[in-house]
Amino acid sequence: MRNIYEVQKSNKIKSAVVVALFVVFVALATYVLAKAMSIYFGYEPGQLGFVGVALIVSGISSFVGYYFSDQIVLGISGARPADRKKDFLFYTVAENLSIGVGIPVPKLYVIADSAPNAFATGRDPVHAAVCATSGLLEKLNRTELEGVVAHEITHVRNYDTRLMSVVSVMVGLIALLGDWLLRATWFGGRRNNNDRDSGSSIFLVLGIIFAILSPIIGQLIQLAISRRREFFADAGSVELTRQPSGLISALTKISADSEPLEVANKATAHLYICSPFKAKGRGSASWFANLFNTHPPIAERIKILKGMA
Amino acid sequence: MIYILVAILIILVFWIISVYNFFVSTKTRVGAAIQEIGNQLKRQFELIPNLESSAKGYLIHEKGIFDELTNARKAISSAMNSGDLKKMTDAGKMLSDLLPKIQVVVEDNPEIKASEVVKNLMDELRDTSDKVMYARRLLIDLTADYNVKMVSFPSNVIAGIFRFEKLKGLETPVDGDELKVGKEEMETPKINL
Repeated sequence: MRNIYEVQKSNKIKSAVVVALFVVFVALATYVLAKAMSIYFGYEPGQLGFVGVALIVSGISSFVGYYFSDQIVLGISGARPADRKKDFLFYTVAENLSIGVGIPVPKLYVIADSAPNAFATGRDPVHAAVCATSGLLEKLNRTELEGVVAHEITHVRNYDTRLMSVVSVMVGLIALLGDWLLRATWFGGRRNNNDRDSGSSIFLVLGIIFAILSPIIGQLIQLAISRRREFFADAGSVELTRQPSGLISALTKISADSEPLEVANKATAHLYICSPFKAKGRGSASWFANLFNTHPPIAERIKILKGMA
Repeated sequence: MIYILVAILIILVFWIISVYNFFVSTKTRVGAAIQEIGNQLKRQFELIPNLESSAKGYLIHEKGIFDELTNARKAISSAMNSGDLKKMTDAGKMLSDLLPKIQVVVEDNPEIKASEVVKNLMDELRDTSDKVMYARRLLIDLTADYNVKMVSFPSNVIAGIFRFEKLKGLETPVDGDELKVGKEEMETPKINL
């Protein structure tokens, strides 16, 4: 049994540790890959050039998603702005919780989909958007909806979209570098065997190992960060509403629903309150399967929430 | 060596600035949070007559409820004029206390229960008292953040140097009968069905 403040504190520390681990890993992988590439092509100053190009390519693709994240929501088929009359509970609950954290009310959207789920996006609290499916609004009562919207507002308040975008730029960077190195070595490329000593061939072998493994490792750490932020948002939701029972019963209802969300894709999966892909066994998933999930198992989330009650 | 000292000094100065800014900005935000409570009370004050007139036809026999709505409205208005934080929070409570009473009336009368207008009235009443509650929550949270930094090391040193004072926040009694649990309250309530 830990109270909400202790949970928040340990969340903060764990999250910082995972992010620090990630930064160290990215730096190491980038260094090794760049070094291996420059040795392979026999072109010393090239190492930073490759990193630069990879950073730009990976950065542009993620930046577009990040900067226009609130507008991309509109592009999702069937997303309509929430209306105070029609979606009274959703609209007013979001309004009230924004008063509670002292941020402007996010733009609110409703997706016509019977699978109950919700997500938040937007680069900062001013450009934030919270989106709920019509299934969610139908199935939850006010207290439950308050728990869910408070979870999303905590994502907004903690700049989680920004964090996850930066993380995905970094993962993309490593993946690109690894991919280039593998392609180059696979197809033979230009070889100049004359100036190769044992030190540089070690780097080359290391580089190929990194090229194969680091995209996977990077993604695993990315998923670990995503799961940490979910725990964070759950605790933040309780801190706001002081009613863990609302979120607990909402999570139970959402997980009892087996319909997959049609509009979800892998890029936005980490933003939802519960993983939009329901194919994997829920609750009792093994730790190994859990490594590849954007969200912690619901049973574990509920256990922690109950501890806070 | 000298560089390390300079670096430490620069970090220290930045840290002092950030702690100082935390205190002054939170203090300002606490002021804004108090205004937000007043703002939400004003909204409540303006909302009540609308609700009254729309639901009057359905709750015509429940004069007591309308009297209490009017009383709540008066209390809010006088609290807003006085500008006293404690009075303002008390006035907000009157409306949320009224909600269960309406619920009882509605449960007793199936024809009222079915009416969209009365459901709307109850939704709006709950929403407006929630809004005042969340405005208070913001004040409580900000004051708590401020006061925790005030007493915890090392930020308490900065607070001491600049003579920041503890914020009162929402005033609640810290001793007296409100915090005592009487014998009756310890007993398990008996329910006769």
